Formats: sequence, structure tokens, C-alpha cells
Amino acid sequence: MRIELSVNGDAYRREVEPDITLLDLLRDVLGLTGTKWGCLTGDCGACTVLLDGEPVVSCLQLAFQVKGREVTTIEGVQQAGGLDEIQAAFVSNGAAQCGFCTPGMIMAAEALLETTASPSETQIREALSGNLCRCTGYNKIVDAVLQAAHDRAGRAGNSVSMQPPGRESDGLRV
Amino acid sequence: MAELFVPDTLGEAIGFLADHPGAALPVAGGTDLVIDTRTGRARPEWLVDMSPLRSLAGVDLDGEVLRIGALTRIRAVELDPVLGRRAAALVEAARVLGSVQIRNMATVGGNLCHATPSAEMPPALLVHDAVAEITGPGGERSIPLAELFAGPGRTTLEPGELLTAIPIRVPVSAGGSCYLRQTVRWSMDLAGVGVAASVEVEGATVTSARVALGAVAPVPLPVGEAADAVVGTELTAEAAREAGARASAACSPISDARGTADYRRQVVAVLVARALRIAWLRATGSWPEGVPAPVNGVFRRDDR
Repeated sequence: MRIELSVNGDAYRREVEPDITLLDLLRDVLGLTGTKWGCLTGDCGACTVLLDGEPVVSCLQLAFQVKGREVTTIEGVQQAGGLDEIQAAFVSNGAAQCGFCTPGMIMAAEALLETTASPSETQIREALSGNLCRCTGYNKIVDAVLQAAHDRAGRAGNSVSMQPPGRESDGLRV
Repeated sequence: MAELFVPDTLGEAIGFLADHPGAALPVAGGTDLVIDTRTGRARPEWLVDMSPLRSLAGVDLDGEVLRIGALTRIRAVELDPVLGRRAAALVEAARVLGSVQIRNMATVGGNLCHATPSAEMPPALLVHDAVAEITGPGGERSIPLAELFAGPGRTTLEPGELLTAIPIRVPVSAGGSCYLRQTVRWSMDLAGVGVAASVEVEGATVTSARVALGAVAPVPLPVGEAADAVVGTELTAEAAREAGARASAACSPISDARGTADYRRQVVAVLVARALRIAWLRATGSWPEGVPAPVNGVFRRDDR
């Protein structure tokens, strides 16, 4: 089946077999290997991308159903000046160790901040609950998203919160 | 490898499925089917794409009946403000299903037709008197939702039949519902026990009630005798305990990684009592509107 889709603003037209997933298409056909091949059962979130702005696990998303839709991958989030706020906050908070879960974590966080500019720690943990990290632990990741929300509000000139970011004492278990 | 059929209409989809019994499978969100085809649990020769049938997606309120299209995404149920006010059990079931990513893909119809005994949506729908609207080669028919389930992974749908919508009853006032579950992990887990309850009241007195269970029988299980235990009461602790005991006696759980059969029976008793109580608080206007219940019914220090 021939499909047209947009990935990070670029239009593509490709022939896809019925059983290939968006993950296969991104990595093997389009060469966008930032999106990670993890569990292939939708459990780990390493393959998270945005489909029309909403996070999905690309390992279970059949490619033919992406026809005419807009995909955003980790390659598409950086700003003209370099890293975007979430990427930069992951770096400055030490929120990546092996880094394998990081692209999925960042995409899930991008979707959260798009709808919730100033999320609570609980909201962050819920939004990232489908993204598993096996080495960093989650606290620094939560710190990074709190920081990114703060930085993004500052960049937008919003006075959402004048409080510097900080974690609440007891978080939701994820 | 499967081939693809993309229908333009519901009739085309049904015709194709009826012409290829056992060989063609409908695919909506794909979150179960893609895994099943990878593991060999499903071996379709044809995939029939449901995504063009957009009229089967969405939630439509008409008086006391709220029709949920089979292709409505779980995430849409979770975020629907009308459901949040009038069918809290559905929102609570939706928000614990999988992850945000899975909920953006998975559909209500898929969650029902995959017929997993631990599925979240069936108990919540059952306590809202859900009906399964089915269209097939022989026309349309409607059955009580409980009759859709034949066993683990099996439905009563005939070849070529598709679940198209799930109308539920949402009382305008003086009604409340709740879905609670027990899991090993807080998220990305299947229910060890799932419990839904609903009540309607006059003043503080329960005039009707429903209880339904997930993950503790081969099929999602309505337990009328448990619900009857609270009718005519003001949902006292004693009545709630009796309902829990009856539900516990009615279920037939297995022992597996998510708990032993004995443990599950005890959890059923506890969660039924809690879910009924929360449903009653909602029905009597004593629960803050739009606030979901904690996953297992108990507030923790850090809930906010």
C-alpha cells in the first residue's frame, strides 16, 4: 500500500507492507534511528513518537494507518538554536545514563507539556508511566521535566509559576 | 504475511469479513492484534482496516443514554467531561489501562472484542447497563454486553459481525459509579482484580445497584446478588460488607502471577465494599465532582 505521511515536517511517500509498523518504517526505511527498538510489546515506551501530536508506541502502530498523518520523532524536537528545553533539562539534570529510554521519555514529556504547561510531579509521573528506565531511576527524569516546564514558561514570557522547580516529597509510584 | 483490505463503508467491511471467515480479522488500534500476530497467537491472512469507519468513533449523549462508538479511543473516554460527571467508573477504568501511549491507540471496541478476562472496560460498562450493538451480514442486533463474552479471548460474534457501538445508561442525577482495581504495579499492569459498582439513590437510600468484576472469572462477571445486598439501605458498612462477601462467593478466580485464587477472593470482598461506598458518595453528592477515586479506593498521603 502506498502511503503519504509527514515526519518532522518533511513529506514522504512510501510503499508499505500491511504488517510493518511505524517503528520499522522510521528506522529501517526512513533511517531515523533516534526512535528506539525496545520490547516490541508496547510496554517499555522506548519507541514513543507523536502521531498528530499525541504520544503512541510506534512498535504497535501499523504503518498503513499513519497514512496522511503527522509524525514527530526525537529528531524533530530540537530548536533552531540546538536542544529544546526538555532535551537541555535532561542533560543538565543528569536524567540519562545509558540513554536508551531517553528519546521515548522526551517524546512523552513533549506531549505532556503541550497540554499541561505547568505539570505537578504526579502529572509528570503519570504521563511518563508508560516509559520504563532501567538505570537512571525516575527522580532525575522527573526533575528534568519540572525544570523544562519552568524554562519553557520563562521562554514564553508566561508567569505560570515563579517558584523554582523542585520535587514534591513523596511521589506516585510508577 | 497478511494482506490488507481497506473498506470504504461498514457494509464493505462486514461483507469482506463474512466472505473470509477465520482468515480476515478487523484491526482498529492494533495494540493487541499486532502483538498476537507477532507471537503467532493470531494468524490472519487478511487485515481489515477499521480506521476509515470514522462514524464508529465518538461519544454521543441523548438523555440518559450515552452511546460510545466502538472505535472510540480509550484516551477519549478518559478525558470526556460528560463521562467524568456521569459515568465515573468508565473514566477510572480508562485511566488505568496501559499507558498514555496505549490509550491513544487502543479502542473501546477492541478492549471488549479481545475478550481478555482482566480487561478494564467491561466491568465499568456493565454497571452502566451497557448494550452491545452489533452489525453483521444478517443485519443489526443488540445484546446485553455480558452476552458478548464467551470465554477468555472468545466472543459470541458470528463471522462477519462487528461490534459498532456500546450504549450505556447514565442517570441524570442521583446516580454514581466507581471502578477500582488491584495490581502489583501502579501502572502498565493488568488488573489482578477489577471491580466496578454503581448505585442510584432517593435521598440517601439506594434504589438500585450494580456490581461487576474483572479478572476473577473466565468472563467479565456481573454479580446481581451482590448489588441487591445494598438496595434499600443507606449503604452502611454492614451492607457493603455483605455485598463484598456475596461477590467473593460468586467469582471463580485462578492463581497466577498476579495473585492466588484465595487472595483474589479476599480482594474482591474489600474492593466491592469500597467501590459501592464511593459510588454512593457520588450519587448523594458527597464526592467532589470530577475527582477520580484512588486506584484501589484508598487515599495515600501523597495523593493530590
